[in-house]
Amino acid sequence: MIETTSRAIGVYTRPKGNTGWRDWITTVDHKKIGILYGATAMLFFLIGGLEALLIRLQLATPDGTVLGADTYNRVYTMHGVTMVFLVIMPLAAAFANYLLPLQIGARDVAFPRLNALSYWVFLFGGVFLNMAWIFGDAPDGGWFAYAPNTGMIFSPGKGMDFYALGLQITGIASLVSAMNLIVTVLNMRAPGMTLFKMPVFTWMILVVQFLLLFAVPVITVALFLLLFDRNFGANFFNPEMGADPLLWQHLFWIFGHPEVYILILPSFGIISEVIPTFSRKPIFGYPFMVFSGIAIGFMGWGVWAHHMFVSGIGPISIAAFSVSTMFIAVPTGVKILNWLATMWGGKIRFNTPMLFASGVVSMFTIGGLSGVTHSLAPADTQQTDTYYIVAHFHYVIFGGALLGIFAGFYFWWPKVFGHLLDEKLGKWNFWLMIVGFNMTFGPMHILGLQGMSRRIDTYSPGFGFEFWNMFATIGAFIIGLGVLAFLLNVWISARSARGAPPVGPDPWDARSPEWFTPNPTPVHNFDEDIQIESLDEFWHRKYGLDEDGRVVRVATAEEVCQDGSATDTHLPSPSYWPIVLAAGLPLIGFGLMYSLWFCVPGGALVLMAIYGWVFEPADDPDGSHDHGHDGHGEDDAVLLGGSAENAEEAPVG
Amino acid sequence: MRPRRFTALVFGGLAVLTGCASDAPLDTLKPQGPISRAIDDLSDPVFLIAGIVFVIIFGATAVIWWKFRDDHSTDEFPDQVHGHLRAEIGWTVGPAVLMALIAVFTLLTHFDINSEDRDDIVVNLDGERTSWDPQVVVVGQQWWWEFRYYFDGLEGVDLSDPRHLPPADIVTANQLVIPTGSEVGLQVTSRDVIHSFWIPALNGKRDAVPYRVSPWKIEAETPGFYFGQCTEFCGLSHSRMQMQAVAMDPLDFQAWIDEQTQAATEPVGAAAQRGKAIFEGQCARCHVVNGINDGGGADLVSNAAPNLTHFMSRTTYAGGIFDLYEPDGSLNRPQLEAWLRNAPAEKPAYAEGRRGMPAMGLSESQIDDVVAYLQTLGTSPAMEVIAATEVDR
Repeated sequence: MIETTSRAIGVYTRPKGNTGWRDWITTVDHKKIGILYGATAMLFFLIGGLEALLIRLQLATPDGTVLGADTYNRVYTMHGVTMVFLVIMPLAAAFANYLLPLQIGARDVAFPRLNALSYWVFLFGGVFLNMAWIFGDAPDGGWFAYAPNTGMIFSPGKGMDFYALGLQITGIASLVSAMNLIVTVLNMRAPGMTLFKMPVFTWMILVVQFLLLFAVPVITVALFLLLFDRNFGANFFNPEMGADPLLWQHLFWIFGHPEVYILILPSFGIISEVIPTFSRKPIFGYPFMVFSGIAIGFMGWGVWAHHMFVSGIGPISIAAFSVSTMFIAVPTGVKILNWLATMWGGKIRFNTPMLFASGVVSMFTIGGLSGVTHSLAPADTQQTDTYYIVAHFHYVIFGGALLGIFAGFYFWWPKVFGHLLDEKLGKWNFWLMIVGFNMTFGPMHILGLQGMSRRIDTYSPGFGFEFWNMFATIGAFIIGLGVLAFLLNVWISARSARGAPPVGPDPWDARSPEWFTPNPTPVHNFDEDIQIESLDEFWHRKYGLDEDGRVVRVATAEEVCQDGSATDTHLPSPSYWPIVLAAGLPLIGFGLMYSLWFCVPGGALVLMAIYGWVFEPADDPDGSHDHGHDGHGEDDAVLLGGSAENAEEAPVG
Repeated sequence: MRPRRFTALVFGGLAVLTGCASDAPLDTLKPQGPISRAIDDLSDPVFLIAGIVFVIIFGATAVIWWKFRDDHSTDEFPDQVHGHLRAEIGWTVGPAVLMALIAVFTLLTHFDINSEDRDDIVVNLDGERTSWDPQVVVVGQQWWWEFRYYFDGLEGVDLSDPRHLPPADIVTANQLVIPTGSEVGLQVTSRDVIHSFWIPALNGKRDAVPYRVSPWKIEAETPGFYFGQCTEFCGLSHSRMQMQAVAMDPLDFQAWIDEQTQAATEPVGAAAQRGKAIFEGQCARCHVVNGINDGGGADLVSNAAPNLTHFMSRTTYAGGIFDLYEPDGSLNRPQLEAWLRNAPAEKPAYAEGRRGMPAMGLSESQIDDVVAYLQTLGTSPAMEVIAATEVDR
């Protein structure tokens, strides 16, 4: 034990122990944070799903009275906000957090405390947003919040303030995590892992973090302007004072279109791991997969005004954005064809992860094709703001992003929890979801082309909308059954795994480096550095070629996998401060809305947390490390991933 | 394979299924005018191409799943193919060329539907022949549409402040009346939030952005009644903000102009006269009846309420959502009385926030009187128009 005598006044020692709830709220372990992200996002998914079912109940019959116009507007607004910002984005963050360090052979992310901060800020932001329900004043201006309908005259309640501040808070989480993961990928890859030996999932997450880094500031600006308009009498969006309400649309969609790729690319990454594994072939055209992802990321910045084809922005700009939108279909098409080519000639096993991944390929194809049909600006003047668009983006975000995330759940569940999810229930989950999904959103193509507008709380009989709306509502409840099957699966699988030994290494005969660790991943990740020589390093350690060029097994998974027995790995200490800092933010939010006095405790909490954060000992000598190891001088040489590991010891972490 | 077969049905059978819905008056795939037909001619082949690509991709997927499924017949690993440069170039360039081709036709149609190709039409105003550049000012507000006709043309008409527009020759609400066979220019704006003007059978939509005037156009070939719906979310009663276009042959259109340019006349009958007094005391705070009060603005956020001078000449009211007439041509009295009794209960509005018609607190006999007065305002439209209004609602 080393004596510490020079501890500054007011500086807390770092939390001790790694059990119980105290561990969960102070953890800086990327794996636990990943699990927290996933669990929280799934809770929000249930809330957003409930909102979706209410929407479908209201629209099941003409002249519906389940919700009424006012409540309907709030429910559909919160459904969109929840699913985009509190479900798909954090679910992607869950996978990124858990898997990205493992895929690049690192011990943790670059800034573990910042990572914890991202999660807690996201949680408090999400809870803050949903508090709007408790205060009886949920936002009613749509997730797109077009000005001036969101100004004080037209939305006088507190709803749009909850929206602006809630998204502002979750935006902080996204920005912090984007910087963290970019630094992690660029600095902490295992020896030998060049950028072009990184798994496609890691690549897609990297692209997404750059998109977040540049897109989130734009919506931050927009939300601040909205906040100032609403609370401090500014006139950024007030046309009476000469403002142009289209300013909001430009800001929102310059964020909003890259956001679409922020939602979809992680799923593309996931299925780019799943499809090769279950086809038993390497990903087809790896460099093209990577570059098409990067191309989508770049081109995603040049298409935002296709959301504004009918807003009156002028024929020349519409023409330019119409053409740029058409060409973004090219890299997306490249991806779909490469996935098909990966399966071609393979030996496909249809386990649940592969079913979901195939679902993504087919359903996203439909969403992509309908997307092409409204890149034609003249056609879009008929299609925009109808259910045709609702169908399109649900095929992209549900059929593309969410199904991919479910593929990821089934694929990596053993890595995270040490047991497989049940295959039989998994297949129920898949088929219920995909049938329900197509029943719900397939008919919306028809409804939209028949002229059913979006965001209407009801419709009259006589417009031909009755049959397919009822059909879609039935489909939505089948999706609900699919989600129940998943929850049941999680519960039953966990119960039957209790007491049983963990699933062995490599349950899927996988290819990428995260499978070098045993299942579930030990707290220190890797026993020793892995030396990366090729893409699919893990697979190449298991298989080689005989003299006839045939693939033969050269080692068993047990031989290749590490056994997780290392006990001397230095790990970053947990910290109280991320959660304390995050807790201050909603208080500041309430202060801006109700009484500026609330900002005082909120601000004090944030300042105190920053102070504590900066001055807490980099490595608490009294604190226990997960493997009972305290010092960190003599074994620095074996730290994984090089010197960037020391980032946590520097005050910037 | 069920979902794939199902989606094949959805996509492949899209045209068939929507075509079957004969009672879909907002159908986007049944153009009734040259502009909407130009859009349809562009999108139909692209729907077809998308359908073909869909069938190819789904067919290929089905083949791949069947052909390359692991049947456990051998332990052998498949060939570890890493890629194929020519294939990659092919499926990058191929779709790019296809998109470029589509882009050419898209741009042609796009600039076509955004160009102006209007001819003046001759109308008779108070016996004087006037050459009118057919343009209508379309003004959206929560939750109804106003249409303003300036027969001297829009040059010199200051549209920069939509809450204080210069007086027009005709001001009407919710039903846009146009002559057939002429392209009619629209100048679309809004008095409060963003709305979107859309008559799918005649053209795509154009947003009504407050304090901005966006040009758009519309053209119908045959006389008829064409439904529309506000398609930009505009708050509480967005779904109840509808409109219709009524296309008339030029002779009927001239007759319509003749009627609409008349101011209201003094009502006959005691009930109607009492109703007029109530109107002047209450309704005239917001509503204009030419000859009774002039357009001095309304006590509302939008500073406007529907002009009622020729109320009876329209077949719908309250944002185009209620039928004014029964199918037999008689007055739909119960609905109109309910509306006068308590408007917010019939159509959600923020009356207390001065957005939408409030409950006027009229007694039953006062309501009868107001209905009697309203019936003197304008003449009923032709039976064909009344019949066409019915969509079995």
